[in-house]
Amino acid sequence: MDLRKIFFIAACAASVLTSAQSECSDYWTGAQRSSDARFRTNGQSRGASVQVGKPTELNIIVYKGQDYHIAFAYDEKVLGDSIHVRLIEKVREANIKPSTDGSPSSITYADVRKVIWDNAEQGGSQDIEFTATSSKRMAIEVTAPGVSENGGKGKRSDRDIGCLGILIEHMPTPNIGF
Amino acid sequence: MLNTTCPHRSFKGIGLVFLLAGCTSATGPAGDISASVHDSGAVNAQSLYEMPTPNELFQIVREISGEGQRQMMSPAVNLTHYNTKSKRALNFGVYATDLVFASSFNLTSEVARYFIVCKKLGDDLGLAGSFNDSDLARLQRNLTKGDSLDVISDEAYKQAYRRMREEDMGPVLSLVLAGGWVESMHLVTHQVIHFDPQNALVQRVAEQKVSLNHLVDLMGAYPTDPEVLNMKSRLLAIRDIYDTFPVVREPHKGISPSGRAILGDDIQILATPEGFQLLSNALEALREDIIRPEDAPKAANA
Repeated sequence: MDLRKIFFIAACAASVLTSAQSECSDYWTGAQRSSDARFRTNGQSRGASVQVGKPTELNIIVYKGQDYHIAFAYDEKVLGDSIHVRLIEKVREANIKPSTDGSPSSITYADVRKVIWDNAEQGGSQDIEFTATSSKRMAIEVTAPGVSENGGKGKRSDRDIGCLGILIEHMPTPNIGF
Repeated sequence: MLNTTCPHRSFKGIGLVFLLAGCTSATGPAGDISASVHDSGAVNAQSLYEMPTPNELFQIVREISGEGQRQMMSPAVNLTHYNTKSKRALNFGVYATDLVFASSFNLTSEVARYFIVCKKLGDDLGLAGSFNDSDLARLQRNLTKGDSLDVISDEAYKQAYRRMREEDMGPVLSLVLAGGWVESMHLVTHQVIHFDPQNALVQRVAEQKVSLNHLVDLMGAYPTDPEVLNMKSRLLAIRDIYDTFPVVREPHKGISPSGRAILGDDIQILATPEGFQLLSNALEALREDIIRPEDAPKAANA
């Protein structure tokens, strides 16, 4: 194929997908809000286009002393009826290597990922509310299964990229009781 | 001239490459080690990054410390002395943070001033309309209502943030966020009058290690931009100081006051007086470099 044609096709594809990203950017506004009206929309809420079967993660910060609600909106015709969600804490851990020749020990740091919530273990729950007792770096990892061949009652799409919105809400942790 | 139409449906494979390149994505920070102990699923994941708005941090700090100090904000008169794109981006982050700070702490006389500064600098960065006249008018009508001020300022901040993200201004956004992070830290650190490791504000400063790591990760998406690399190296030096602070992790005891789930361990990052002073000095030196007018001489000891 002519090189110019390849570049042109690639540019077209880029343009289509950039446009898809833009179309998805407000998708989070369609997610179900918490029934607790004290929650306020968090600025880290985000929409994006995602590919079936490929994990997408939104990296955020949660602050100590805040309660959070995270919910999702997605294009079911492409991504399927339910999505797999995991919350992964990213921890910077030190590895100390003792020296063998009397020189100071060397320390290297690595990001370690710890799964702290998995909706597969929570009956496939499509939202979560939690209290942050420490400030943490967190990745909200979403994997869309897509629509099965015979599932979805005619919903199946020939696309494998669809919109996903992640709504994040927060409020200062309230006290309950007396 | 090519006479070809865009084939919308036929290029999923090619498209994915551009999809990943087009969003604010990073597969891992450059020069850092990534490891997966409990989870190995991130290697091929599409990674997106978001930073909390400064408002979130200031709301927490306001509950602890009560009053904001207007003299700690970056001088608005420096505005016309930022001429390069990188300097404008960094100081847009600084001023936008100052605006949110003034709004959060009801420093009403500063709110309109810093809004106008952000509007001007935003226009220079190609963000015309993000801080617009109708928002300014709304802000001026609400100057006596503190609660509305922080909402309006926060909205303006988010508009600018979204605009940069959607218009693929990734390196500029990185610098804006870096400037904002440094200014937030400067403002919060100066709320600490006497060092006490148990002081809630000191602990807030110490735990900002997580937001710094997050910012450094985010900047890793632009490994070839010299201005981003330069700022990242300065931030990594601050992270080196943070790395000297002991970190204690332990399972949470008891239930949440709200009855909601608690995820993961409790983490305490312990600041020592010397470490806190080092951190504070490094932050001030970096902030001085960021806010220094481009036509001003560099301090001899900087």
